[in-house]
Amino acid sequence: MLLALSLTGGAAAHRLDEYLQATLIGVTRDTVEVEIQLTPGVAVLPVLMAVIDQDRDGRISSEEERAYVGRVAREVELRIDGVPAPLSLIESNFPTIESMREGSGTIRMKLRTERSGHELRFENRHLPQISAYLVNCLAAASDGLVVSQQKRDAVQTSIEFEYSFGADAVPGPRSAWIALAPFWPAAIGMLLVVRMAVLVYRERNTTRIAFKSSQVKSL
Amino acid sequence: MVKTTLLRSSKSTFLAAVLCCGLAPAQSSLSVTSKIVVSADGFLSSLDEGQRSKVLFEFNDAAQRARWSNLPTTMVPRAGLKMGDLTGPQRNAVMGLLAAALSQRGYEKVLAIVEGDEVLKAAGGGSRPMFGRDLFYISILGKPSVKDPWMLQFGGHHLALNITIVGRDGILTPSLTAAQPAKYTVDGKTVRPLGSENDKAFALINALDEGQRKQAILNYKVADLVLGPGQDGKTIQPEGIKCSAMNASQQAMLLDLVSEWAGIINEQTAAARMAEIKASLSQTWFAWSGPTTNGTPAYYRIQGPTVVIEYAPQPLGGDPTMHIHTIYRDPTNDYGKKAVGH
Repeated sequence: MLLALSLTGGAAAHRLDEYLQATLIGVTRDTVEVEIQLTPGVAVLPVLMAVIDQDRDGRISSEEERAYVGRVAREVELRIDGVPAPLSLIESNFPTIESMREGSGTIRMKLRTERSGHELRFENRHLPQISAYLVNCLAAASDGLVVSQQKRDAVQTSIEFEYSFGADAVPGPRSAWIALAPFWPAAIGMLLVVRMAVLVYRERNTTRIAFKSSQVKSL
Repeated sequence: MVKTTLLRSSKSTFLAAVLCCGLAPAQSSLSVTSKIVVSADGFLSSLDEGQRSKVLFEFNDAAQRARWSNLPTTMVPRAGLKMGDLTGPQRNAVMGLLAAALSQRGYEKVLAIVEGDEVLKAAGGGSRPMFGRDLFYISILGKPSVKDPWMLQFGGHHLALNITIVGRDGILTPSLTAAQPAKYTVDGKTVRPLGSENDKAFALINALDEGQRKQAILNYKVADLVLGPGQDGKTIQPEGIKCSAMNASQQAMLLDLVSEWAGIINEQTAAARMAEIKASLSQTWFAWSGPTTNGTPAYYRIQGPTVVIEYAPQPLGGDPTMHIHTIYRDPTNDYGKKAVGH
């Protein structure tokens, strides 16, 4: 079969001039896990190697791997209910330099915090000059996770959303309720006072009626 | 006497008709599986012992099951038999097996993707060949059977078909179709391997009214597939517009779009997948990122209880509309796990 070639555009088969940073956030009742997959394009690898390969020997040592993932961990931020949640490195994995030179190598790292809450915000500030970002929250149907109000910036360096689980799931926004939290003890106290007043009133009323009844009987 | 005989005869005929009608679809599906098994056995019998040992894997070989990618086979090695290492009759046997397992349009889509890679090879040149129809691989996990589960894999650069066959059922997920170039010419005829995936999607987003489009269109850029190769077992929170907010015509357009993936496999088993997807349409979402004029690069995602489809133009130094990656998954049944009972 003769092929009449008609091509437009470039013929790159793999990532070139971007450092793709893809984040998946896994939320459970007790923890939040952040998995980041970093894939450098061939054109940006020299820039990345300059960051990672501190001794400029053309290889990535174990110490340099640890230093780099530590830097990434410091340049992302997780907040739960408005409070910074420290992330601990759980695992990391580096590809070969050869695969990164071809644009197919992916650095993988997993971070975790032992925190729970109802509002989450994650931001990635690592190497924005050369990067493209993806960030998503994982779905976990078995846990009854309900996520709402997902918001990202235009280039996905950040995500925020509200979440809850199972029977506690609230379909709509809870942020107003959370903001009023400091006033709850006072509100509950007032309700208790009102309740006691009602009980006292009823008790007195009951006593008065019984007294009047006994007076009528004695007449 | 004659009346009784006729009555009995009518009853028998009626029962026979009911049985035949009831059994006919099952027999038809099973006969499709039989044809696939016959083709697979024919292919295997054309191989010598060394080739057979390369192409066959244990059904539960988890490493081989996940050994697929959108990247060239020179960058991400595949296992099995390479088309370039087969004789002419053996290659024909592979194509016959694919033709038996796939629908007509699915088979034509695969041919178009493979030939597109040949076009890429001819255009790219270079010292190390990375592209072309010789660099596609076939592998079989388990033993081809009309009863017991087994799996057929075919793929290479920009194609990964993972077909699990369990009796009359066939599961195509996860599978990846991609195209580069997304448009080329053969003998004066324009070929667009993923043209329908593009055109039907733009028709759908433009069929939504302003309020619906506002729900569907994400206010952020999506740079690549989220659930591509290496993301087995993961599902993300859905976004966009829920199909329950679409009218009947728009829903029909969405299902027609989904059929470009679900309909790659043979018609009988595709019908079962489409029925599942249609049954949960009210829980299915459609999300879009990018411009809405056909011919411009836009990302979209269809996500429901039994379907995840992503379509992502690739901005890799050229025209993103000429380089497309897509992924097709079923969170409940990837690699046939529901059908097999994993």
